[in-house]
Amino acid sequence: MDNSVCQVYEDEIQALEEEIKLLTEKYEDGQQESTFYSDEEILMSKKSFWREFQAESKGHGFPSDLKAQLENLERDLSFLMKLTGIHFTGHSKKTVEKTRNGTVQKHRLSGNCHSLSFQLKFQLLEMQSKENVSAVITDLSIIVESEDLKVKEFVSSTEEHGSLLAFFRSLSSYAEWYEHRRRTFLHFKGKYPDIVTLPEGLLGDQIILRNPKPSGFELMIIWKIHIDKEGRSTPVLDLLTKVPEQVLEQKMASIEEAPAQFRSMLLLFGIETAIENLIKVVRLEE
Amino acid sequence: MLAVLDLLLGAPLQLPEEEEEGPLKKSVRCHPFLRVRARPTRPDGFSLMAEPGGKMEEGKVQSADGLLAHLAALEARAHEEAVKREEKEQQEERLARLRARVQELRLQRDELRAKVDLQHKAQLGEEGLVSDPARPSARAVLGWKIESVKRMLQVFYLTGISGKLTRQGVCFCISTAYEGTYLDSYYLDLLTKAEVQIRRHSVPAFIPLEQIAKKYLQTDVRRFLSVLSDHLNAYAGRRYQADQLQEHFSDLIKGTLQRNSLCNLLVFNYNVSSESDAFPYSARLVYRDVCRSLPTEVVVSTTPEAPAPLAEAAAAHSDLFRRVAVHEAFRSFRDTGAGVAAALASPP
Repeated sequence: MDNSVCQVYEDEIQALEEEIKLLTEKYEDGQQESTFYSDEEILMSKKSFWREFQAESKGHGFPSDLKAQLENLERDLSFLMKLTGIHFTGHSKKTVEKTRNGTVQKHRLSGNCHSLSFQLKFQLLEMQSKENVSAVITDLSIIVESEDLKVKEFVSSTEEHGSLLAFFRSLSSYAEWYEHRRRTFLHFKGKYPDIVTLPEGLLGDQIILRNPKPSGFELMIIWKIHIDKEGRSTPVLDLLTKVPEQVLEQKMASIEEAPAQFRSMLLLFGIETAIENLIKVVRLEE
Repeated sequence: MLAVLDLLLGAPLQLPEEEEEGPLKKSVRCHPFLRVRARPTRPDGFSLMAEPGGKMEEGKVQSADGLLAHLAALEARAHEEAVKREEKEQQEERLARLRARVQELRLQRDELRAKVDLQHKAQLGEEGLVSDPARPSARAVLGWKIESVKRMLQVFYLTGISGKLTRQGVCFCISTAYEGTYLDSYYLDLLTKAEVQIRRHSVPAFIPLEQIAKKYLQTDVRRFLSVLSDHLNAYAGRRYQADQLQEHFSDLIKGTLQRNSLCNLLVFNYNVSSESDAFPYSARLVYRDVCRSLPTEVVVSTTPEAPAPLAEAAAAHSDLFRRVAVHEAFRSFRDTGAGVAAALASPP
């Protein structure tokens, strides 16, 4: 009889301890999220901390060197961002549940990978078992700036399965191709400004090579970036020709073969050289 | 018990410090119980405590035997009562402690609730910036920034590639996942003094780490990590599928699934329902592209004597396994029944 009373107390103690853990984490998250110090304030704090720290160290005791700790962490972060190309511009975390078994947190994340920006929302469930910690993503919602249909399909399939890791890996490789295309377009526009036009700008997928003489002979390269179901990106390039009638009659054969020849050039020499060769051809049409 | 007997019969007690007056008389004493120190009176060593104020009944006891029995009974009862009293005290102490703890925790919890509510209200009032009444110390500001950077680094784990700089180079962590479930992580400790070298790693032996390193490590670390991540994620995904199959659909599989360490070869006999005891289908899945988690070759066969519908179903299953993860395929067998699953497996 007394034991049952004890049990009731013990159950309540356990429930209270869990609730306290949850509230503590909520409070700490809240404090972290609602506070903001600008870069100048941080710099000033680093300086004043360093002065205090040096004074304290001359005395006795070993105060923790927060400035060094912060600098190490910032160095790690900037290294990772530079290596992966992924820059996070905002992050917020809210603890929704915390029990003996695990924690549920809601995350919001925004950032960009090269020139592609994204916004994510997801729920992360972490469970502690005897052997390890497991993590599962649910309720994933992704917004990516892209008009590409394939990208939209990939994003919605990723959302459905909660494949956050796959999203980042695919985003990385897609963004690398995206960036490579942008730089290539920029390079040719800079080198041959009178021949090259970009009807959709640097971030578009078309580049037009036109001889300035009004012969009307034009080559258009369409450079799309395909993303497959498994998130792998591949560049797909095609050549379209726009030829005025007089020229067409003369050079029908060679013009018909142009797209195929372009494809072999791509395979043999790579994208930049193939485009460079086409530009030479267009220039020669004088 | 024995000690009391000794007393009554006049035999000397072997008590080391006891101040007993000489040989005892056969009369009943005022203190019916004696403190016995050296000798246990019970098999479990429980010693009898003197009870001041315990009185002896004043009755005429006829014989030594009667007295003996009477005293023994009294002793037993006193012992029981002492035990009960002690238990009761312990129980009460325990209850008091628990009650105090509950009060303490309730107070703590209420304080925290109030803090969180206040915080929430403040957040609703003005978003983002908080005006601290007192100017924050340098320590507090740095502490906040440290926490903020730490959280960002933790998020990198979710992207698949994270790590930290070391004195001699960098230590990378490649995380793997199957859809939304994160699986094992693998570590690579790199030295970057002269050329890049792998000092230590936790990559399993059947992943061609050396080949990948030879091709990319010196020229393009990002590419190296990306290719290695492809291999590791595909392996982790295949292993996850096989584990799920073994764990959740063992009733549909004969014995255990046979697989190699890279998990790119699976061989098993199965059925689509657990109704019969037979496992008429035999499957062999080969994942020749080690960077993918779907098989490149599937062979599903039945025994030569099997009826036609089974053979047809086998062909449909073969197609299904090529397009859908193996544990998902089995889920469809279980959910919709064998016939429908076969129908679903055929191309639209």
